[in-house]
Amino acid sequence: MLEVHGLAKRYGEVLALHSLSVRVEQGQCLVLLGRNGAGKTTALRCIAGVIVPTSGTVRVDGIDSASDPAAVRAKVGLMPEVPGLYERMSARTYLDYFGSIYDLESALRHRRIEELLEKFELVDAADRWLGSYSKGMRQKIALIRATLHRPRLVLADEPTSALDPDSARRAWEYLKELQDDGCALVICTHSMEEAETLSGQIGIMSAGRALAVGDLAELRGRSGLKSRRELRELPTLQDIYLAIVGNHHELAEPRSA
Amino acid sequence: MSWPSLDRHKAELVARRDLRDATNEIRLILAMVTLTLAIPIASAVGIRALAYFGGGTAVVNRLAVVGAFFVVFIPASFSLVLALEAFVGERERTTIEVLLSTPLKEAEIYAGKVAAVLVVSLGLCYGGLIVYCFAVFPGLGFFPFGVLVALAVSTICQVAAMVAGAVIISLNARTMRAANVMASFIILPMSVVLQVEAALILLGRAELLWGFAALMIVIAAVLLRMGLAGFSREALLAREVGLSKPLRRAIGSVRAAFQGRPGIIRLVWMRRTPIAVAAMGFIAGIALGFAAGRTGAIPGQVVKPVLSSLLGASDGATQGQEALGIFGHNLLAFVLAALLAIFTAGLSGFALTVLPGFLVGYAAALSSWSVALSGVVPNGLVEIPAAIIAGGLAIHIGASAIHMEPSGGWTTRILRALADYTRSLRWLIPALALAAVVEVRFG
Repeated sequence: MLEVHGLAKRYGEVLALHSLSVRVEQGQCLVLLGRNGAGKTTALRCIAGVIVPTSGTVRVDGIDSASDPAAVRAKVGLMPEVPGLYERMSARTYLDYFGSIYDLESALRHRRIEELLEKFELVDAADRWLGSYSKGMRQKIALIRATLHRPRLVLADEPTSALDPDSARRAWEYLKELQDDGCALVICTHSMEEAETLSGQIGIMSAGRALAVGDLAELRGRSGLKSRRELRELPTLQDIYLAIVGNHHELAEPRSA
Repeated sequence: MSWPSLDRHKAELVARRDLRDATNEIRLILAMVTLTLAIPIASAVGIRALAYFGGGTAVVNRLAVVGAFFVVFIPASFSLVLALEAFVGERERTTIEVLLSTPLKEAEIYAGKVAAVLVVSLGLCYGGLIVYCFAVFPGLGFFPFGVLVALAVSTICQVAAMVAGAVIISLNARTMRAANVMASFIILPMSVVLQVEAALILLGRAELLWGFAALMIVIAAVLLRMGLAGFSREALLAREVGLSKPLRRAIGSVRAAFQGRPGIIRLVWMRRTPIAVAAMGFIAGIALGFAAGRTGAIPGQVVKPVLSSLLGASDGATQGQEALGIFGHNLLAFVLAALLAIFTAGLSGFALTVLPGFLVGYAAALSSWSVALSGVVPNGLVEIPAAIIAGGLAIHIGASAIHMEPSGGWTTRILRALADYTRSLRWLIPALALAAVVEVRFG
């Protein structure tokens, strides 16, 4: 579904992303963890075909993003960290606008909008201007917009950071439903709970590099941490993350050419 | 660059949304409509009062036409505000990233946004103009149809130029505050255009308005093309890193522009096309000057003072002062040509060779070729090639200023062109000094 090879992005003197290679199959989820400025958002933007990578290749559903970026964007649903909603539009009009951009047929579009508004309990607020929405409601609308056209690949940057625990769980359930339908997910997050809930694979990033990619068991092995015998527990993802990033501390320094 | 293909339906989607966004703020709409109606009505009252109290038919008629231009200018300037909001505003609120993540092409977003602003602005402009026409001309007994059509055409281009200028600003400004300040670079030239149009009408040369409208069409087309070329996902989203220490970065950019640049011989070869254009400009200038002198298209009293002032500038001065005067004059022309090239799309570089050529041709038409050439030989053998090289390099500066690429690098290209010009002055300044000495000793 998604094949990324040697992906790099340079902004002037700053190397924001360095040689990222990952593969996400249909129905799989890759969670990218990393501190602020680790290159997660840049990776998502490059994969989404929103910015052009300095080097490397991105293929979505077999389509090379360099040769046909519009076709890649049609298959991808990007949910940026900031929802970026038009404040003077109602949720229905807003979603209808984006559905039209994705060429969703009118009846299907309206049905899907209603279905998702109901799923996220936004039906009552659907005719209010988005400017009056709370942070969490905005994030829900952004998630609906990114998935309205049933993309083959969803790229979400901190999709539940503004949601209450109940809404976050609902969003995770929704993302898992998409996975079950064959959609691939790439999620950037700082929430270990989210990572553990959603992930098949976890990529730990620091200073533009992927330090480790694998499932929880693989990363546990790579982290060098032993099980916490005194508590009779395995190391948590948070322990693993801190251990891996800590081992590569020098990479976290500001980087330039 | 060719104009890219676009899906009109997609562009319409963007346009409709932007249009709705621009028109669903009732206070903004009320302010714009009130101004659009109040200004023509107030102007009409003034003109009618002037006519009633015996302002003189010629004065009233000309003021009535000038008034139409002012009435249109205010709503036309709204286009700048709306365009900045549509481009910089979306960027500032990060809504643009969402739009750019869809399958829409850049050209569809650009066309949709430009169309939405044009519809609102032109609607207001023409609305104001119609109100003004109904309020003023029925009582005056004449209707300047031709002038008003020229105004209508010119207005479309002025609005388009302002919108395209706003896009170029949006690519270089990250906040509305910065964009509003930078908008002065658009509104000031546009107000000059308005003044020139008013001057043409007051001078009774309204027929020249069509030439002005044609010029505005060219300017609008160049700016729209620049905006389209520069409006890219990369330009809008990818340059948000490493923005600290702006002064140090600016100095670094200037320094980098001077590094690794070619020497004069290689530079002349690299810029052979614009230099050839400048050389053609000299020949075209001679031909135009000769034709103008022969046909009397430009009266002698206009050109002769220029020729006399050039010839008589050295009266009473020593040879050293004379040489210094010629050298200073030429050097100033070279420097101004380079600086103005950025704002004139390189026309100032073209003028650097066309104008001297014109004067030679004009002098030849009034006297003879031998007399005309004696004015430029032998110093011209050094001066003219120097002017052709400088003119060509200035044309390249102008070309860099109106050339944008999706990958960015606009500032870098202009800085490099300016650096090449500055470095070439190491050779051109001695050439000008030599020419000045030769002119004084042997001219």
